[in-house]
This record gives sequence, structure tokens and C-alpha cells, in this order.
Amino acid sequence: MPDDATRDLFPGALEMMVLRLLRHEPMHGYALVQRIQHASNNLLQVEEGSLYPALQRLLKDGLVKAQWGVSSTNRRVRIYQLTPAGTRHLERAISSYSRMSRGINLVLGVADA
Amino acid sequence: MIWLDRLLKRRRISDDLSAEIQAHLEEKTDALLALGLSREDAESAARRAFGNVTALKERGHDVWVWPTVESVLFDVRFALRQLRRAPTLTAVVVLTLGIGVAATASVFSWTRAILIDPLPGTGDPNRVYALESLTASGSWTPTSWPDFRDLRRSLTSVSGLAAAYPTSVAIGDDAQAERGGTELVSANFFDVLGVEPAAGRFFPLTRDNAPGGEADVVIGYRLWQRRWNGDPSVIGKVVRINRFPFTVIGVAPRSFHGSMPGEDIDLWVPAMMVNQILPTANSLLEDRGWRTFRVLARLTPGVSSVAAGDEVRRVASAIARREGGRSEGMSATLLPLWQSHWGLQDTLRAPLVILLGACGLVLFIACANTANLLLARAAGRRRELGLRLALGAPRQRLARQLLTEAAILALAGSALGLVCSIWLARGLRAIVPASGSSLIDPRMDTTVLVFTMALACGVTLIAGIAPALYGSRQRLGEALGEGSRGTSGGVQAVRLRSLFVVAEVALAVISLVGAGLFYDSYRNTRGVAPGFDADHVAMGSVSLALAGFDSATADALLARVADRIAGTPGITAVSYTDYVPLSLGQGSWEDLEVEGYAPERNENMKIYRAAIGPGYFDVVRIPVLAGRGFRADDDSAHAPAMIVNETFAQHFLRGRSPLGVKVKGWGRWFTIVGVVRDAKIYRLTESPAPYFYVPVRQVYRPEYGYTFLARSRLPVAEAVSAITAAVRSADPGVPTYNAMPLADYVGVPLRGQQMAASLLGGLAAVALVLAVIGLYGLLAYAVGQRTREIGVRIALGARPVQVLGVISRNAGALILVGLGVGLACGASLGHVLSSLLYGVGSADVPVLAGACTAMVLAAAAAIAIPAHRALRVDPIIALRAD
Repeated sequence: MPDDATRDLFPGALEMMVLRLLRHEPMHGYALVQRIQHASNNLLQVEEGSLYPALQRLLKDGLVKAQWGVSSTNRRVRIYQLTPAGTRHLERAISSYSRMSRGINLVLGVADA
Repeated sequence: MIWLDRLLKRRRISDDLSAEIQAHLEEKTDALLALGLSREDAESAARRAFGNVTALKERGHDVWVWPTVESVLFDVRFALRQLRRAPTLTAVVVLTLGIGVAATASVFSWTRAILIDPLPGTGDPNRVYALESLTASGSWTPTSWPDFRDLRRSLTSVSGLAAAYPTSVAIGDDAQAERGGTELVSANFFDVLGVEPAAGRFFPLTRDNAPGGEADVVIGYRLWQRRWNGDPSVIGKVVRINRFPFTVIGVAPRSFHGSMPGEDIDLWVPAMMVNQILPTANSLLEDRGWRTFRVLARLTPGVSSVAAGDEVRRVASAIARREGGRSEGMSATLLPLWQSHWGLQDTLRAPLVILLGACGLVLFIACANTANLLLARAAGRRRELGLRLALGAPRQRLARQLLTEAAILALAGSALGLVCSIWLARGLRAIVPASGSSLIDPRMDTTVLVFTMALACGVTLIAGIAPALYGSRQRLGEALGEGSRGTSGGVQAVRLRSLFVVAEVALAVISLVGAGLFYDSYRNTRGVAPGFDADHVAMGSVSLALAGFDSATADALLARVADRIAGTPGITAVSYTDYVPLSLGQGSWEDLEVEGYAPERNENMKIYRAAIGPGYFDVVRIPVLAGRGFRADDDSAHAPAMIVNETFAQHFLRGRSPLGVKVKGWGRWFTIVGVVRDAKIYRLTESPAPYFYVPVRQVYRPEYGYTFLARSRLPVAEAVSAITAAVRSADPGVPTYNAMPLADYVGVPLRGQQMAASLLGGLAAVALVLAVIGLYGLLAYAVGQRTREIGVRIALGARPVQVLGVISRNAGALILVGLGVGLACGASLGHVLSSLLYGVGSADVPVLAGACTAMVLAAAAAIAIPAHRALRVDPIIALRAD
């Protein structure tokens, strides 16, 4: 499925970041977007809406669970929380990502040299 | 329910997503407002940053829906492509499945109409049971009104007990009288059956209190349409029944035919009016020995049929003990409607179940064939499947894809079968006796549809599970590493396929044996001499009770009509009888006392009889062995005379000269004036039983119809019209029915048997063909697989016989095992069916041998083509192949 909104990212990157942020603390969609932009020093321009299909995928795969709650601005929002399966998935994803990134960097380094 | 659940869940997901996105946009807008933007700018900026809301919502939603639908659609498309690639194979599979489904569905539609829903129009029919009286010897018999009344009073486990006595009446004025079926019923009849009137009302429950009373009648829907064009103002109109005026108070609903499956009842009259309908049946309501009523019970809510049956047995035995005399030793039992002895379902039960079984066999063989072909396909796709597994396709995904293929085939086959079964079901009418067939409606309703769908699912599972499991269990390395030159290709598949072929052969043998047994039985039955000669005899029946005649007028009419028929040119002999031999019913009996014969304890002295006119034995050519036949002067003015058959004389008179012996029946002493040769009475397959004849002129029973029989030198059709014409000219108010050649009439049961035998034969032929297709498929595949090996053998100098040996060893083993299993089952089949067969031993060697021969010959044909191909293998090409 083409994913225009996340074309800057590789498939699964957005999900990985979401899981990582949720491991820190449960939060709702808007807060997740803020956190991603803030944490990446605004390097990653994520289309805000594209977060929601990603969240649905994570929900469906049982990696996160959602609960209706109240935000700091007193709005009724859905708060997402990592499940144990999500934690495991995140660990695998990070380790495989870092291996890939190391590999790519090595190749890029060789090319430089 | 799972679907509903999912649907609701999907709905909730969608709502949650919308609310969540809405909250996000608001939060963003608030943040932008805080930065000092106008509300309008803030809102549009929030939307811009978010992206296309609708598209994103859809994508979020699709996460849940899409993969399933997409992959199913993919599977279907893929399967269709696969099937299209082998159109002949697909067509054969769909056709064979179609035949199996069509046969099974059409027989099932009859089974539903006859056994599952025997009394259409009845409310909550599962709680309605038939109560049947049992004689001291344990055989069933109808129930007398006094017994019914006592049972109704005492039983607590039934909420309602109703009685009905079916008989024929003349409906309407003399000028346009028609013969119709009626039931004399207890007042609560419609209430017990849970029937609601289509118009008007039914009888008040107090109607059973005293004989006579209001002459009310409830008419049937078809009579209403036929005679009154469905006019609602029929309520209150007067209609003459057997010349007595009755007032119409209600109309039964269209679906209701009365209390007997397969009988069409035109009207219902309170049993209390029996005297007005049948003037000579005046003791019907008081005589405990006059057993004529069918009794139906509706169980009290919460009471099990077992408990109710126990109570019925207990109460009926108590009544019999109290009454003694002719009730001694009697009891009663409660039966589900489909097991009841009244009505069409009694004769059709066994044939239908057997046909259903045979159809099931054929369908199962068709399934095995499909599985076989799919397995072959899966084996051919080993490498493709292995590759997909290696690329990470989940196993269940592969299994699902293979099952999809089976499901598409099953669906196509079932659709084809359903279409065919619509006319096939009508064709089955041929095995049903003409009288009842019009009422049975083997329609394609939801029950049949659901049944067919269940069949399709069953077919999918049986045909698809083995290929699916096999296909998805490929070992990656094995499938990929096994080069195209491998000879062990799909050992597992071949083993599975061999199993299917063995099953097919066995099942085909079983159906061949079954068909053979029934054909043998039919042939034996056909070969039985009935003891009378029906050829060149015409018949035509009248019902004098209909016309309300008393015995003197009836007697005069019978004599007058007989004279007129005799006056027709070409007629050589004429007589009449109240029982036509080989009718579907058993006729009627009388309790006899034979002078000088002391019955054993509990001996059944109820002997079947016929009341006949003068000259009867000349018409049907039953030889008179001693004494004489009846003459015109055996009438009420002369001493009661009786003629007995040989078995009667042997059994009761043991060596005494029968002539002159006195026999007591109907409260009078009859003198035996003649002995005739035994003739078949009820059916061809019965063993000889005592039987006797009395003159109609001395024993007039109006409740039975009388049938004129005329032997003619001219074509029998002319004699038939002579009978009809004679009756009409003697009394236009008396309708004639069953006007036909006697040979046709007595041939009806035989035709049913012949039909059943040919249907089973047809099914067995289909089974055989299917099994051969399966065998052929497997052998052709095996030869294809072993082309190289055969090539090597030929190159090394193997002679054709040796090559053939290789092929047929393989086939021979399969056929032998299949034959063994099939014959073993076939032999026990004869045992199971023995009660339905006539003159067929439980191990019918010719039939078993015939089935074997047919199977072996068919198998030889299946072997011939692959064997031929194997012989023509060119070693050079074979070794270079692949």
C-alpha cells in the first residue's frame, strides 16, 4: 500500500517511534505528534494525520491498547499504552533497525573512504 | 453471531477513530489560537497539518477490513485462474459434484416433504404424535371411538387427543356430485393440530358430547377454490354430503391436507354426524371392536415423548383389561408422525432412506474424486508451493488457498446440482403412488437450500482438506531440492490418492451390490404368479355410501350396473367386489369362529376377506377347486354362504371336507360352499394366508367402495368406458373413480419397485463411472511420473508384458483392496436390507459376482489408456525428458 505521508520514512519507522515513545509513558495521538516533532528537533516532518492509520495497525496487531481518558487540556481523548507484545516487538524492531543502520553507515563510510 | 459481532466492532472502531481525529484537530486549533491566530486561520492550519481527514480515516479503517477481503478476493481470483487453466478437469469435477448434489438434494426434498414435514399446515408439528392401538400380538391397528374417548379422558401427558376417520363421500347435488375425501373428526381435531381457519371457524369443543346435532362441515381450501372459486360468502351455505345437507362453517388453510400424509381431504365432518354420512355405520361410536380411527396426540408442554408413550401404554392396557373380551391383551403406543403407519410415508420411508443413502454414496465418491484431482494438482505444484513457503508465505495461507479452490468447485457443483434437482425432484414423482403424489410438494425451500449449502461445505471439507494439508505441509528443502528428475515425487500425495481411489472403488461396489439386490428383488417379485389374471380386465369403482344407499337399493344398483356392463358387446364376464386384490390397503377382516376348530390361546382369528358379487372368480380367473362360486341367489333371502381359499381350508379344517362346514362371522353362521385356489391379496410377496369370500348381497358394508370388474374380448379401454357409461346410466348421482385396466392398477406397487431398482441402478452406474475416473486419473499420473523408469526398463529390454505388469500391479492392488472392502460391506448390506427385499438371500452370490465383474471391467478400461501410453514410451525421449 503506498503511504504518501510517510514517504520520508521507511516502512515501520513511524510505528517504531510511536512504540518507543509509548514505552516512556502512555499518551494520546496529539501528544505523540508533538513529542515526535519535538524529539526529532523538527527534522522529521510527519503529516499529523498519518499517525492514526499507524496507531490502528498497532492496535490491530495487539502491540498497543487504547483507553478513553481526559487530556491535560480537558478533552476526551484516546490514550494509548504499550502491551507486553508491543514491548517485545519494539526491542526486536530497534535491534534490527540498529543493525541495518550500522550496515548502511558502514557502506556509506566505505564509499566515503 | 460472529459476523454481527464483527460488524458492530467495526462500527465502533470507525466511531472511535472519528472522535479521536476530531479531538486532535481541536487541540491543534487551540494551540494555534494560543499563538495568536484567528480562529478561521487556526482551524484551516490545523487541517493542513493533519492532511486529508477523510482519506486518513479510511486508511485507519481499512487496517481492520482490507487484508481479509483483499486476500480472500486474491485467493478466489487465483483459484479461478488455476481452474481455468485446466478447463476439462474443472468441468468434469463440477459435473460430477453437480450430479452428486442434484441427486442428494432432490431425494432430500422428498424426504423433507414426506418424513420431516408429514403434516403441512400443522402448528408446532414436532409435538404431535400418532397414537396407534396394538393388538394382543403386537401389530398395529386403528383405534375405536370408545377407546379414543376413554384415552382422552385419562391421559395427562397429552394436552389434546384428536381422532379422525378418513373415508370417501359424494359432495354436492346428484347432478354434479363429485367424489371427495372426508374425515370424520373429533371436535378438537383442528385445535390439537394447531390449525387456524382460512375463513369462518372450526367446530366448538362441545361437539363430541352427543351423536347428531348441528350438521356443520369444514371444507378444504382446494374444494373451496374448485367449487366456490374461493368466495368468502361460502360460510353459511349448504352443501350436500352423501345427499345429507350440511352447513359450511369454516375453511381450512391452503397448506392443510388432513391427518394423513399424502391424502387430500376435501372436508371435515364431526364424528357425531356419522349416521348422517354413513347410514349403516350406526354403531361406529359405540362399538369398541370397530377400530377405524386415526388418533393424534399433542404432548403437554414439558412432557417428553418417552414419558407420554409410557403413560399411553399403561392407560391403554388398563382400559383393555377393564373391558376384556375383544380388547383382551390390547395396548397402544405413541409414534412420531414419520413412523406412523397411516399414510403415504409408511410405504415411502424405506425407499427414501435407501435412495438418500445411495445418493450420499455417489456424492461421497464425487468428493473423493475431487480430492483426488486437487491432490494431483497440489502435487504438481509442489515446487511452486515450496517456493512460496520459502519466501515466507504462512502455511495456513497456502492451505486456505487450496481450500478456496475446493470451495469454488463445491459451490459451482452445488449450484449446478441445485438447478438440476429442481426437475429431478419432479421426476421422482414416478415412484409415488398416483393418489398421493399431487400433494407432496418437493419444493426448493429454505430447508432444502440450507441442506444443499451444508452439502457444499461438506464437499469442500472432504475434497479440500487433504490437498490443503498436503500442500501446506511441504518441507521447504524437500520441495525445492527435489529436482525435476526426482522419482519420489509426491509419495505422500500418491499414498493419499490411492486411499481415495480404494474408497471410491469400495463405495462403487457397494452401490452396485445395492442396486443389484433391489433389481433381483424386483425380478423375483415380478416373477410371482398373483394367482389371478388381470389381463383383459377393466375396472371402475363406485362408492355407494356416498350416495347414501341402504343395502337393498345398493344391491339393486350393483346388479343393474353389472347387467348393463354384461350387455355391452365383447364383455365375457362381469362381477364386483369391495376389495381389489393387490390394492395398497389390506382390505378388511372379520373375527371368525370355525365350527369344529379350537383356536389356540391368543390365536388371531381376524381373517381378511372380500365381499364379492356373483361370477367373480370367472372374471379374475381364480380356479374353484371344490364346490361352487357365488350365484345371484346367494342373497339376503337365502342361507349365508362363504367361499374359502386353500390355506383357510388347510389351516382350519385339517383334512375335513370343507364344504358344508359352518363359520360364524357378523353374528351369523355361514356355510362353506366352495374352495378356491390361493391368490395374492395384499402384495405379491406375501406368504399364503387364510382368506375368505362372502356375497355382497349378504354382507353389505357401505363404507367401502365397490369395484366393477369386466373381462373383455375387445381392447380393455373399451371395457373401461363401458363400466363408466353403465354406472352413469344407472344413476347419474354416483361418480365412478379408478376407471382403468386392472393390470395397470395392480401393477402400481411393482412399478414403484421397478422405478426404485432403476434409480439405484442409475446411481450405481454413476458411482462406477466416477470411481473409474478416479482410478484413471491416478494411473495416468503414475505412468506420467514413471515415464523415465519405464523408458529405462524398455531400453534394458523389458518386454511389453513386463511393462504392463509394472502398471497393473499398481492398479491391481488398489482394485483388489477396494473390491475386498466393497464386497464385505455389500454382503452385510444384503443383511441390513433383507426386510425390504424379496427372494434375495443375505449373501447373494450372483449379485456380488456381478458387481465385481462390472468393477473389474470398468477398471480394465481405466487401466487401458495409461497402459497403452506406457507401452509407447520411447526410451530415448523418456531419458531426455526434463
